[in-house]
Amino acid sequence: MLKSKTFVKKTRSGGILKVVREHYLRDDIWCGSEVCVECKDESPVLEKDPCMESSMCTFPHYLIPDTNVVLHQIDVLEDPLIRNVIILQTVLQEVRHRSAPAYKRIKDAIHNKEKHFYTFTNEHHRETFIEREPGESANDRNDRAIRAAAHWYSKHIPDSAEIKVVMLTNDRLNKEKAEQTGLLVYRCDEYIKSLIANPELVDRLALTSDEKNEITSSKILFPEHLPLSQIQSGIKSGKYIQGTFRANRDNFLEGTVFVHGEGDESTEILLQGLQKLNRAVHQDVVAVELLPQEDWVAPSAVVLQDDGSKGEDEEEEEEEEEKKLQTKQVHRDSLKPTGRVVGIIKRNWRPYCGMLTLSHIKESTRHLFTPADRRIPRIRIETRQAATLEGQRIMVAIDGWPKNSRYPRGHFMKNLGSAGDKETETEVLLLEHDVPHLPFSQNVLSFLPSMPWAITEDDMNRREDLRHLCVCSVDPPGCTDIDDALHCRELENGNLEVGVHIADVSHFIRPGNAMDQEAASRGTTVYLCGKRIDMVPELLSSNLCSLRSNVERLAFSCIWEMNDNAEILNTRFTKSVINSKASLTYAEAQMKIDDRNMNDDITKNLRGLNKLAKILKAGRIEKGALTLSSPEVRFHIDSETHDPIDLQTKELQETNSMVEEFMLLANISVAQKIYDEFSECALLRKHPSPPPSNYDILHKAIKTKNLVIHTDSAKELADSLNQADIEGFPYFNTLLRILATRCMMQAVYFCSGLDSDFRHYGLATPIYTHFTSPIRRYSDIIVHRLLAVAIGADSTYPALMDKHKQAALCNNLNYRHKMAQYAQRASVAFHTQLFFKSRGILNEEGFILFVRKNAIIVLIPKFGLEGTVFFENKDKPSPKMTFNEEVPTLTVEGHTFNLFDRVRVTISLDASNIQHQKIRMSLLEPVIPGVSVPLPEAEPEAKKAKLDR
Amino acid sequence: MATVQVSEAEKLYVLHGVRDDLRVDGRGCEDYRHVEVETDVVSNTDGSAKVSLGHTNVLVGVKAEIGKPKPMVPDEGYLEFFVDCSANATPEFEGRGGEGLGIELSNTLVKVFSNKHCLDLKSLCISPGENCWVLYVDVLLLQCDGNLFDAISMAIKAALFNTKIPKVHICEDEDGGKEIELSDDPYDCVRVNVENIPCIVTLCKIGHRHVVDATLQEKACSVASLLISVTHTGMVTCVRKVGGGSLDPESIFEMTETGKRVGKALHAPLMELLQKEESLGSKRQKVGFLG
Amino acid sequence: MAGIELLSDQGYRLDGRKATELRKVQARMGVFGQADGSAYLEQGNTKVLAVVYGPHEVRGARSKILYDRAVINCQYSMATFSTAERKRRPHGDRKSSEMSLHLKQTFEAAVLTQLYPRSQIDIYVKILQADGGNYSACVNAATLAVIDAGIPMRDYVCACTAGFVDDTPLADLCHAEESGGGTSLAVALLPRGGQIALLQMDARLHQDHLDTLMEAAMTACKGVSKVLDEVVRQHLQEMSILTGE
Repeated sequence: MLKSKTFVKKTRSGGILKVVREHYLRDDIWCGSEVCVECKDESPVLEKDPCMESSMCTFPHYLIPDTNVVLHQIDVLEDPLIRNVIILQTVLQEVRHRSAPAYKRIKDAIHNKEKHFYTFTNEHHRETFIEREPGESANDRNDRAIRAAAHWYSKHIPDSAEIKVVMLTNDRLNKEKAEQTGLLVYRCDEYIKSLIANPELVDRLALTSDEKNEITSSKILFPEHLPLSQIQSGIKSGKYIQGTFRANRDNFLEGTVFVHGEGDESTEILLQGLQKLNRAVHQDVVAVELLPQEDWVAPSAVVLQDDGSKGEDEEEEEEEEEKKLQTKQVHRDSLKPTGRVVGIIKRNWRPYCGMLTLSHIKESTRHLFTPADRRIPRIRIETRQAATLEGQRIMVAIDGWPKNSRYPRGHFMKNLGSAGDKETETEVLLLEHDVPHLPFSQNVLSFLPSMPWAITEDDMNRREDLRHLCVCSVDPPGCTDIDDALHCRELENGNLEVGVHIADVSHFIRPGNAMDQEAASRGTTVYLCGKRIDMVPELLSSNLCSLRSNVERLAFSCIWEMNDNAEILNTRFTKSVINSKASLTYAEAQMKIDDRNMNDDITKNLRGLNKLAKILKAGRIEKGALTLSSPEVRFHIDSETHDPIDLQTKELQETNSMVEEFMLLANISVAQKIYDEFSECALLRKHPSPPPSNYDILHKAIKTKNLVIHTDSAKELADSLNQADIEGFPYFNTLLRILATRCMMQAVYFCSGLDSDFRHYGLATPIYTHFTSPIRRYSDIIVHRLLAVAIGADSTYPALMDKHKQAALCNNLNYRHKMAQYAQRASVAFHTQLFFKSRGILNEEGFILFVRKNAIIVLIPKFGLEGTVFFENKDKPSPKMTFNEEVPTLTVEGHTFNLFDRVRVTISLDASNIQHQKIRMSLLEPVIPGVSVPLPEAEPEAKKAKLDR
Repeated sequence: MATVQVSEAEKLYVLHGVRDDLRVDGRGCEDYRHVEVETDVVSNTDGSAKVSLGHTNVLVGVKAEIGKPKPMVPDEGYLEFFVDCSANATPEFEGRGGEGLGIELSNTLVKVFSNKHCLDLKSLCISPGENCWVLYVDVLLLQCDGNLFDAISMAIKAALFNTKIPKVHICEDEDGGKEIELSDDPYDCVRVNVENIPCIVTLCKIGHRHVVDATLQEKACSVASLLISVTHTGMVTCVRKVGGGSLDPESIFEMTETGKRVGKALHAPLMELLQKEESLGSKRQKVGFLG
Repeated sequence: MAGIELLSDQGYRLDGRKATELRKVQARMGVFGQADGSAYLEQGNTKVLAVVYGPHEVRGARSKILYDRAVINCQYSMATFSTAERKRRPHGDRKSSEMSLHLKQTFEAAVLTQLYPRSQIDIYVKILQADGGNYSACVNAATLAVIDAGIPMRDYVCACTAGFVDDTPLADLCHAEESGGGTSLAVALLPRGGQIALLQMDARLHQDHLDTLMEAAMTACKGVSKVLDEVVRQHLQEMSILTGE
C-alpha cells in the first residue's frame, strides 16, 4: 500500500520540546513533463515543447528557480512570457514561511493553466529527499535539496526529448556548487536579460545585493542599522522604543514614530533630519533611541518638498536645508521628545504608484521615481524605457536602501497609463488604498458554479419554497447586485408577516476554498464613481446571487410575525427559494406608494411595509438613535464619455428609510440569534460611544449661536440635535449634524468572545451585526454561515469557531472597509476635479465648517463639497491674522470669521502639479481688501450648467 | 509476577543448589542471566534504553527540561527519578498498586545516582542560579522477574549514555537581561559523561552463600539482600540492606567484596556494547519490541 | 492561513501520505513471557504495548463477579516520556480513565465473554510514544494481545481515526493533524460483519459530512485489519516452526 521508508525529522521548538514527525518517501511522485515516458502522470503540466527564446539557452528548457528568486523576482515570474517552471516543494514551503503575499502570488501562478508551473513534491520523493548533515545550516540544506532535485530532473528527462533543466539562483555559492555537479545554472538577471521576446522584463528585476555595490558612491550617508537581536534586547531593556514610522506629508526631512502605549498612553517621537530618519519609510516598524533632552527639537512649520529639481549630487544644498530646520526653533516649551532610528524591525513596503522624473543625462538608465504618496521617499530605479514612461503613472517596488545611497533602490513593475487619464487615476487610487482589484484568478473562478445554473431538486428539498410570496426589491437606480428583497402580507389571524430575503451567497461560496479566501481578503465591494470592484466574481454578484425580478433565486430569509404596532411576535430564519416580482428603484417605489390609483399586490405590499417602517423608525428614535448627516454627492455620468456632467447631493426618499428600517431590524434579530447560539464566536458590529472630549468642537460651535447641546447620551444628543434650529437658516441643522458626525467613533466588527462592550451607539441598540449585504460585504457571509449553523442548515468549520481567527478576520475587514471608504472619497474627489475642470471657475455659496490658524474650511451645500480657503499666498505678504482657539474664530484684516458664517467662494481646479491636482477655493464674499478675489467673469458655460438643474 | 509462592521442598532444592554453586537455571552464584541492551528506542525522548535481564524488562526514557537550580547548589543541574510500576508487569500494580514499590525504587535511585560523584552536575548548569537542565529519568517496568535494581541501573546508565541534550547558549545584553537560545542545528548537542555512573549489584543471601541476579524464585528463598552500587573502578558508592531478614556483619563484608568484583566486571562489556551501538549511528537497524 | 498546511495542493499531507493512506503499521505478538498474552504495535510513531492476563478468578471484591460472563478489566496508561511535553503521571487522570472505559466497552463487544463466567480478563495497554491516534493504536495492540492469549473473539477489533481538512477526509491522523484543529472521528470496527464497536467524536460536525467521514474511517479500519491478520498469521507460522510442527 505504501512503498515508503520512514525517516525521522526532528524539530525543536520552544525551549526543549523534541518533536518527532514521520516523513514518508514515495516513488509515485511524477516529474510532470509531457515528454516523460516513465512517469504515469495523467495530465502532465510541463509542455513537451517549452518555448522561451533566450540568447543563452537556445534549446528548449524548464526553469527551476530557488527560493530567493521566487521571493524577490515574483514580478518577473508572473509575466506571461515565463512558462514551464518547476516550483519545488522546498521552495514553496520556504516562500510560504517567509512572505505570505509572495506565496499567494506564486500559488496563483501555479493555478494558472497558461503558465505551466508545476509543483514538484521533492521532499517526499525517494530520490530527491536529502537529510540535513551535521554542521549544515537549514538554508544550506535547502539549497542542496534544490540542487538535488534539479539534478534528478536533468537525469530523469530522457535525452531524446532534448529538453534541459535550467536552475536560477542569485546565490553565488549555490551557483558554484551547482556548476560543479554539472547543472545548467544562471543568475536570474543574466537569464532574464537573455530573453529575446521581451526586453522590457529586465526593468522588472529586483536589484539584488550584488548589483547594489557596483553603482553607488562610496560615501556612507546613513548610520548602520542594528541587527534584530540587538534591537530586541534593547527594546526589552527599554533602551530603544518600538513604533510605527509616519513620515511627514509636508516635510520630507521630518517624521514621527507612533508608539503604541497601553490604553490612551500612545506617544509620538519626533525625528528630524535624514540621519535621524535613517532610511525609515512610511509605515515601517522601527526601533528608535530617544535623544537626551537638551537635543530635543520642535516640529518645524516649514513645508519642504523633496521635489525633482535637485539631482543626487547636490547634497550640500540639502544639508543647508537641514540647518534651516534646526535654527528655526525658538519656543522652549514646544520641544517634543526627539529620537533617531537605530534599526528597522519590519519593513512595510508595498508597490508604490507615482511618476518618473527623468535624469538630466539623456542616455542614463538610472532615474528617480516620485511616488504619489508624499510620505514615501523618491526611489531610484533603472529602466531603459524612460522615454516611454515619461508622463505615465507607473508602479515601482523598493528593493532595498543601502547605507551609502541617498534614495532607496527599486525596480519598475508596471505601467498604469498616462497621468490624468481617468482609467489610470482610478487604478492609482485603488492601488494606493490597497484595494485588491485584479481580475479574479483562474483558481478563484474555478469555484464558480457551472452554467447554466438552475436550482436543483436537492436545493428545493432543503429549502422553504417562498416563490409564491409577492417579494420585491427596492434599490438605487442602476443597481445590479441586489442583496435584499422584502415582502409583507396579512396573515389569517390579522397579524402581518414581514420577510427580509437576503441573497444566499454562502450557498455558493464554501468556506476555505480559493473564492472564499479571495472574498475574505477583499472584505468588501468597493464602489467608485462609475466603477465597482466586486468582492465576488460578477457571475455571482450580478447574476446568481442578485435577487433579480422574475427569476428563481436562493435566499436566506428572516421572517417576522408582527402586529399592527410593529411589535415582533415571532421571528424565524430559513433558507428559502424566492421569485422576486419586481426590482424597483427608490423613486419608483415611492411613486407606487404615493399613487392612489395603484392597488396591485406590490403596491399594497409596499404600503404595508412603509407603514410598519414608520412605526419602527419612531421607536428607534425614541430609544435615542441618531440621525446624522454627511454630504454625499452623486455624479451624473455621461453615458458615452463617462465624464461627470453634473453633480448633485443625494436625495433621500421615504422608501430609502423604509428599506433601511427593515435591514436594521433583520440585522438586530440575526445578531441576537447568532450571539445566543455562539456566545464565543459571533461576528458582531459595535459602535463605541465617543469620549466626551470628542464633542468639544460641537459644544464650542453651538455656543456661538447661543444654543446648548447635550451629549451625555445618544438620546440626549439626538433630542438636542432635533431642537437645534435657527430661524431663517434652514441649513444650520444639517451643518450641525455634519459636525456631530465628525465627533463619532468608527463602527467596527469584532468577535463576541473577545469583547464585552457590544453597544451600537449610533443605532442605539445593544447588539448589532451585518447580515443584509453578503454580496458586497464579507462580514455578512460569515454571519450567514453562523446563522445557517444556528438553524441547522449548514455545518461549521474550524475557523468559524475559532475566536482568534475570527478576530484576525475582523481586523482585516475593518481595515478593508476603512480603505474602501478612503478610496471612495478619493474617487469622488477625483471626479469632482474632473467636473470642475470642465466648468472653469465657479462662484458658489458656502458655510464655514471649521476655522484654522490660517484658513477656513468651507462646505458648499450644492455640491456637498468641502474645501479650504487659505489666506496665505506664496507670492503675496501674509495678511494680518489672529486666531482665537477658544471660540474659535479667525480674524483676517479686521474681519472675523465665525463658524457657520455664510461666505461666497470661487471654485477652480489647480492643476499645477499633475500628480496632485486639487480644488482651489478663494474667498469672494465678504470682501476683504487684499484677501478676497474679484468676481470672476461669468463664463457662459458655468451659467449653462446652472440652467441644467 | 512480583511475588511467587515457594514450597519448603523447592526452597530446600534451591538452597542446596546454591551451596554447590549450581542454581536452578544452571548458573553459578556470580553469574548474570542473559542481558540485552538497546538504546534510542523511544524517538521523542532525549535518550532512552531498553534492558532485559532474563524475564525482567525495563524501559528508561530521559527527557531534558530547563528548570531552576536548587537554591543550595545554584551552579548545578539535577536529576529527577520516577519509576512507573506499570500494570503491564503484573496485575497487582493496577491502579495505585505499584505506587509503593515505585516510590521505594525511585528514592533509592536518587540516593545512588543524583550526586556529583557519579555525574558532572555542573555541566547541566546553563546560567548559575537561574537556569539549569533537569534530567527527568523515567523508568518503566514492563516485566518483573527479580533483580529490578540491577536491570534499572544498567538501563539508566545506557539511557544517559544515549542522552543528547540540545545545545543552548545564553544571549546576554548589556543590561543583564538573559535569554536562552536554542541551537538551530539538530546535530548540535551535549552528551552526558557516564563514565562514573555506578551499576547496582544486588546480592541475595541464600543459606550461607549469596548469589547475584536472583530470580523471583531465588529471592523468595533468601533471608535478606544487600544492594551495592559500584563504579567502573570498583569504588563502592552506596550500600544498602534490603529485605526483611537480618545479616551478620561478616557476611555483609563478604557480599560487599563479591559485589565489588562483579560490579566492576559489569561495566566494561556494557560500555563496549554502547559504544558499538553508537558507532553504527543512523545505519543501525532498530529492533525495539519488534525483534 | 497561518499555521501548517495539512494538505498540499498536490494532495500530500505533512508527512507525505495521501489523504486515504494509513501510517505504517508494524506489530509483534508474544513480546513478554510472563503475561498470558502480549503484543507490541507501532502505528507510525505511536507505539503501544498491550498485555492480557486471564481469564482468571476475579480479584478483589466478589461483588464484581458476573455469573454469566467474564469481567473485562482495562487500564490505559501512558509512559511519562511518551508525549512531547513530559507527563507527570502515567495514569489516573480523567483522560486515561475515559480511555480505559472506552477500551473496556470495545472489548466487551468483541470478546466472547460468555465462555468464561465468573472470571476476569485483564487488558493493560501502555503508550510508549504518542503521535496521534492513541486510542486506535491501543485497540489494535490489545486485539493482538487477546489473540495471543488465546481468548476467543467474534472478530478482530480494528480501530482508526479519520479527520476532515478542506472537505477531504484524511485517514489515520498523526498528532500534528489532530492538533491542527477540526474534527477527529475514532471508530473501532469488527470488520467482517461491519459492526461498529465504538464510535467517538468530540468536535462538531455537520451531519452531511458524517457519512463521508465514517466511510473514510471504516475503510481505514479495514486496511488495519489486513495488517493485523497478516501479523497473526506470521506469528502462528513462526510458532509452529518453533514447536516443530
